[in-house]
Amino acid sequence: MSISERCGAKASRRTIVKAGAGMTLAATLFGAGHLGTAARQDKTYRIAFIQGVIGDNFYITMDCGARAMADALGNITIETQGPERWGQELQTPILNAVVQSKPDAIMIAPNDTTGMIAPIKAAIDAGVPVLCVDTTIDSDIQLADVSTDNVEAGRVAARGLAEAIGEKGQVFIVNTIPGISTTDQRSQGFREEIAKFPNIEFVGEEFSNNDANQAAAIVSAKLQSDPELAGIFGTNLFSAQGAAAGVREQGKVGQVKVVSFDAGPTQVQDLKSGAADILIAQHPGDIGQIAVQLLHDFLTTGNPPDPKKYVTGATVITKENIDDPAVARYLYLSDCANYKLSDITPQEVAAPAEATPTA
Amino acid sequence: MVKAVAGRAMEPVLQVENINKHFGAVHALRNASLAVWPGEVVALIGDNGAGKSTLVNVLTGVLRPDSGTMIFAGERVSFSSPQEARAAGIETVYQDLAIAPHLDAVANIFLGRELTMPGLAGHLGFLDNGKMRRETEEQLTRLRVRIPKLGRRLVTLSGGQRQGVAVARAVMWASKIVFMDEPTAALGVAQTEMVLDLIREVRNTGIPVVFISHNMPNVFEVADRIVVLRLGEVVAELDPRTASIDDAVLAMTGARRRDARGEGAVVG
Amino acid sequence: MASTQTPVAPSLEAEPKPTLGQRLSNAFTLLILLAIVIIFTLLQRTTFLSIGNLNNVLIDTSQLLLLTIGVTFVIITAGIDLSISSILILSAVVAAKVMIQFSGTPEQVAAYSFPNQAMAIPIGLALGVLTGIVCGLVNGLLVTRLNMPSFIVTLGTLGVFLGIAQLLTGGTTVAGVPPAIQQDIGLRDLFPWPLFGADFRLIPPMIIAFVLTVAAAVLLNFTRFGRYTYAIGSNMAAARRVGIDVNRHLLKVYALSGFFAGVAGTFDLMRFGTASVGSHQSDNLAAISAAVIGGTSLFGGLGTIGGSVIGAFIPATLRNGLVISGVPAFWQNVAVGVVLILAVYIDQRRRSAEERM
Ligand SMILES: Nc1ncnc2c1ncn2[C@@H]1O[C@H](COP(=O)(O)OP(=O)(O)O)[C@@H](O)[C@H]1O
Ligand SMILES: [Mg+2]
Repeated sequence: MSISERCGAKASRRTIVKAGAGMTLAATLFGAGHLGTAARQDKTYRIAFIQGVIGDNFYITMDCGARAMADALGNITIETQGPERWGQELQTPILNAVVQSKPDAIMIAPNDTTGMIAPIKAAIDAGVPVLCVDTTIDSDIQLADVSTDNVEAGRVAARGLAEAIGEKGQVFIVNTIPGISTTDQRSQGFREEIAKFPNIEFVGEEFSNNDANQAAAIVSAKLQSDPELAGIFGTNLFSAQGAAAGVREQGKVGQVKVVSFDAGPTQVQDLKSGAADILIAQHPGDIGQIAVQLLHDFLTTGNPPDPKKYVTGATVITKENIDDPAVARYLYLSDCANYKLSDITPQEVAAPAEATPTA
Repeated sequence: MVKAVAGRAMEPVLQVENINKHFGAVHALRNASLAVWPGEVVALIGDNGAGKSTLVNVLTGVLRPDSGTMIFAGERVSFSSPQEARAAGIETVYQDLAIAPHLDAVANIFLGRELTMPGLAGHLGFLDNGKMRRETEEQLTRLRVRIPKLGRRLVTLSGGQRQGVAVARAVMWASKIVFMDEPTAALGVAQTEMVLDLIREVRNTGIPVVFISHNMPNVFEVADRIVVLRLGEVVAELDPRTASIDDAVLAMTGARRRDARGEGAVVG
Repeated sequence: MASTQTPVAPSLEAEPKPTLGQRLSNAFTLLILLAIVIIFTLLQRTTFLSIGNLNNVLIDTSQLLLLTIGVTFVIITAGIDLSISSILILSAVVAAKVMIQFSGTPEQVAAYSFPNQAMAIPIGLALGVLTGIVCGLVNGLLVTRLNMPSFIVTLGTLGVFLGIAQLLTGGTTVAGVPPAIQQDIGLRDLFPWPLFGADFRLIPPMIIAFVLTVAAAVLLNFTRFGRYTYAIGSNMAAARRVGIDVNRHLLKVYALSGFFAGVAGTFDLMRFGTASVGSHQSDNLAAISAAVIGGTSLFGGLGTIGGSVIGAFIPATLRNGLVISGVPAFWQNVAVGVVLILAVYIDQRRRSAEERM
């Protein structure tokens, strides 16, 4: 597990109180002075969670984290909405309607870094504070951002792959579509980290246009030109699935290790069937928890989060460690029945204001 | 070829001679000739595939003949489109109801010849619905055609009423001659009577009507003259006052062609 | 019957007067919309029927409305235009690219400065709309010259136009559009007076959509163009026989549909300040179903702009109300689907009852 180590700097500004019977409840309170406002604690706050897209295990898990934290805090209710497909024109009407329902705060995974600025600004102008989760907008109007540190996740992927291939051989990236910040950052982190291994040679990056067939064709061709290829990093689901198919077609299963991003049921199945050797799990549940924690703190104290950026980590999952509860808890969920609140706090994952590009 | 019925002094409105039309190997019209005089109802009969529709299509500009001459209103003509024929005063009621069922009677009657508003609005294509409606009402009154609710879409009318609109449209615009290809084929008895009455009414205005029908009693009821087509050829011309339905059927099927001559059938 | 008999046309069947039920169901889709509004108003008194919320619904529906109106013309001719969603995207991309191109040197644009934006924005908008028209003409030419079914043609161009948009952008969102298109034009409140409360915003996309909707209704109802549109959909052979240049007219109708999609494409820039090739992918079906809910027949000859407007607002209003009520997203699909089927079923029953008379 590789939660960012950059938390220490700001931790001193807050007091972490662990409370709750038998469970680790992380309620962050903003100094003793605010504890006096007991009346506020009696009020129940409605937080609307607008997902990037509904029905996605990543966001379902995030929702679980949000709801678990809401239950633990006791005075928060979560209402979840989201578009059926990724698209600013689909998400905007939902955001507008949610604003009309007058929630106390909104946490949203914006569908477009530019396109969602105006709708989010309208929500804020209407008096509803907005916090961005997972994705963000190219602006500073939002209360805060909580997302995966994709550069760090790329590094985690590099370390995982390096270990799997015995820290030697050629490695290759199958990325999805150029210009997408998250996947580009994963690629960047991977390349930075893999360069630290003297016996590993980085042999390039190709784009699959988020099409598994194209990814397979790319990998097949690559295996023709570089038959000694030892590892491939697929930066998202289709890129990794296609890469695995290419490896199979070329009869190189076992010789070439495939790293797939995310840990939904599909990816887990790929791992178990051998189509992927390593999964890089983001921590969407942590994102949901921290987002709700931050909003709770803001709603109860009136103090906006400081710093404004929080980045969660990533975990390497392999066939060997998948049954380890410490790892298995990062597998994405289809429902919240088995979600376990983690004891992560915003302080642990607060990013220094200037670092970590999240756009 | 075609003999004028006794007592005709006028020139025929339309006279075609030796029309031939092939569809690939099918010789659909073989030296077909026909003349139509003002104020008469000519029935065009023949078995299925005899070439009746093809003949009408040639005469109304839908099809171009391979050979033959056509004299219309005293001039040699050759129509290259139905619009040209229409411009010359020839109107047609097609076998397959050429109306737009989702439009009302006025819109159908003026379809393709809409009246537009005066001035700029007209140039922009704005319709003068009031004027079209008034003109329709006037013309229909003149022709004694009654169409209920001119403003109703034709889908909501009965088949007879719809055909009435198609016939009324042809009749309204025809200045020289009206062709009707099986105008009653889809109609019930009462509705058929209505169309036959319309045919008579048009004839009474002096405009000749050429109509195709398979219904022999209808043909004998309304026609002044019966022209029989068989395998693309005009094989007989009958006078409904003297010929019988049997004569007509036999001429159509050709069974008695050998001895048809001189027995009330005038073979063309 | 003697030919001398004077009253020619025998009295035809008696004309049944439309019953109250029939007269009511003429406005059936409107009733559905009203029912939705009333239900949500009762459920969510404070928020659903607020000026601000209705204003949001109007703004959010403006693009779908334009697509629906354009495709209504096509469907009335018994055709279909599946490519409108891709035309929208391509138009938005072209408009965005042109604006970026003309608003300054690449260095200036990269530095977020757009010295020539006053010229670049109108040119971009014009070329975006023109792109829509050209795409529509391509559809129309393929349908009329190659005599191919519009379903196949526009299914093909659905992919082609989207593909071109992806090629132009490398598959990503176009960034770096001058922000003035959004801040100074698209989201400018043209009604800053507090007459209807502070929540009421009258922004240019709403006005453009309104004006074009009215113009489309006038075009369809009062002009020869509209008359031919119905006639072709009702009976294309009959239209040809009366001398209507059917191919020419269809070409214009597809171009019109492209025009509406092109304008909707420019709305992307006005509302979001960006052109995203990943968006709007299902807007074609949304627009077609809105037209159908509004009483447009997929078999041609039937349809009104008023109906399409209502048809576009029914799903939008329903979704808005369901979101405000906190109904989970998947149920919203169920509700919208049920209303679609219900609306069309009742509309069909009404029609066949009318036609059986
Ligand atoms: N468009 C066409 N193409 C090919 N053959 C045709 C066409 N129209 C008519 N025919 C043929 O010409 C002959 C005469 O047809 P038609 O004039 O329709 O007959 P009728 O109307 O007397 O039943 C038939 O053999 C028919 O099959
Ligand atoms: Mg025929």
